[in-house]
Amino acid sequence: MGVSKAPEGHFSILYFAAASTFTAKSSEHLLAPLAAGQLFALLEQRYPGITDKVLTSCAVTVNLEYIDLEGDGDGDDAEHRDLVIKAGDEVAIIPPVSSG
Amino acid sequence: MAPRSLLESLRQQIASCETQLQDLRQQLAEAERSERQRRAHDHPQHTSSIDPLTHDMSYGIHDDFRSEVFAVLSHVDEQRPAASRWPLEPTEYKRYGRQLIMPQIGIQGQLRLKNASILIVGVGGLGCPAAAYLVGAGIGTVGLIDGDVVEESNLHRQILHSTARVGMTKVDSARVYLSSLNPNVNIIAHASRLTPETALQTVRPYDLVLDCTDTPASRYLISDTCVLLGKPLVSASALRTDGQLMVLNNPPLPPGEVQGGPCYRCVFPKPPPPESVVSCGDGGILGPVVGTMGVLQALEAIKVLTRETDQSPVRSSTPDPPSLLIFSAYASPMFRSIRLRNRKAKCAACSAQASISAEAITSGSLDYVQFCGAINPVDALKANERISVDNYAKVRLEVNPFTGTEPSKDSHILVDVREKVQFDICNLEGSVNIPFSVVSSTQAPITSSQNNGEQTPAVPEWVSALRSHPEKPIFIVCRLGNDSQISVKKMKELGLDNGGQRWIGDIKGGLRAWRENIDPEFPDY
Repeated sequence: MGVSKAPEGHFSILYFAAASTFTAKSSEHLLAPLAAGQLFALLEQRYPGITDKVLTSCAVTVNLEYIDLEGDGDGDDAEHRDLVIKAGDEVAIIPPVSSG
Repeated sequence: MAPRSLLESLRQQIASCETQLQDLRQQLAEAERSERQRRAHDHPQHTSSIDPLTHDMSYGIHDDFRSEVFAVLSHVDEQRPAASRWPLEPTEYKRYGRQLIMPQIGIQGQLRLKNASILIVGVGGLGCPAAAYLVGAGIGTVGLIDGDVVEESNLHRQILHSTARVGMTKVDSARVYLSSLNPNVNIIAHASRLTPETALQTVRPYDLVLDCTDTPASRYLISDTCVLLGKPLVSASALRTDGQLMVLNNPPLPPGEVQGGPCYRCVFPKPPPPESVVSCGDGGILGPVVGTMGVLQALEAIKVLTRETDQSPVRSSTPDPPSLLIFSAYASPMFRSIRLRNRKAKCAACSAQASISAEAITSGSLDYVQFCGAINPVDALKANERISVDNYAKVRLEVNPFTGTEPSKDSHILVDVREKVQFDICNLEGSVNIPFSVVSSTQAPITSSQNNGEQTPAVPEWVSALRSHPEKPIFIVCRLGNDSQISVKKMKELGLDNGGQRWIGDIKGGLRAWRENIDPEFPDY
């Protein structure tokens, strides 16, 4: 499994652990640009149920940087909701793995 | 074949001899150590090759020794400190030589390791390799905490344990291996689980903690404890072919200090939903995957402990920025390092607004199990939708207690909803495999093709196959009897019971119960 380069106008999204199990994919390409705040809604549309079962506890990264999408409701913490995911970016959905 | 009682008694004898042996090894190690210390103290500079005991003392002291004896007698106090002329024991220079000559370690680094104490929480797939490398490297004190005993299914990855030690506590089994690997290390075994009541007192004496546990609740408990006590935490996890590694609370500054390293809650503020948490027993684990993560934990622990004495030219003056290392054994590249943020501004554990206190942990007012959610055993079906393994065995061999029909291979359909890879390991004769992932991802309702034929999505093959025998009862089996219940509900939602005309039910307790009650030779994997 290697991640192919995103075609023009797309970004790559990587699914790890439970996210990979839920989507039955390790990666795919989605249409760019996309506001980071819209990412979960888009994934929910493609994979109904993924928000509750996987995304709410996940770490999300853009180009290997952790971003914060879920605030405490007052907006202070969700500093990256307005960030725009651009073509060629690499997004990763990283659920916590707890076994060992 | 030997009777069970003989086997059992042999096992017990072996276990008891091993415990004895282990005690003796421990005593020997301690005796050797004190003997070395005594000798170093008593004979600081015994350089002569002539044995003074062979000299006949009746003629007085041999001339060769007279001056030496006077010197010793007149300078007793000055001679003593010669014992600590070198900071390590002679054998330690040999043992650690290969890492001592690395500029990252050096003599100062080795002394740091020797004076350090590390607590390894969990002596399983992560804890075993981590402990082996840390004990090998000469950490002064290594604490092990685990409440489990060694099982056969542990051995493919938990490298400190052995076939002969199945049934022994994991901490004792690990101690046997580790004390023979390096008798210089003080091993402390805690044969219990880390609980909120004991966490603070257990962790307090140690300098650094390794989280090698396997549940979300223990991960939050250990992280909170490390933040409150100011201990750096090296946390790792692994499942199937994936692993994660983080060095947390490094530097371990008090809650509210923004320069302190993030904690587990900063990275994963919300626990995963309990039904999504998969154990290695259910999801599987490849030995070298979890081994890799455990070895990396040992490496990070050594780096944290020796950072200040690192003499290498590339050493940075500040700790490495916090990162999350992701290992995916079957991906390319295999490793990805994610840069983490500093402490989360509103973290419940390590921010200025932290709400988690030592009192809240110890008193139990902070309920980690509740925070992470408990999984209730699946109890989705009514009694008449379920059949015991004993009754199902009768269906296969005798008269069907529900329909009264004679036994026949074709009298019913047995659906095994385990994933294909498990079905291929072993299955009941005549069963058909429809994996749970396929059943649960089929969207209901599938409208019958008689209505709106043109708008209906294609009926999945497995659904039409079951529809083609509308009269046969369907028995559903899985590994433990949980997925089978959910599959019964799903098949009814999909209308496969023809509005109640066809019986669909699950085999209670799954193939585990089948093995326990009916066929003891059915493989237990």
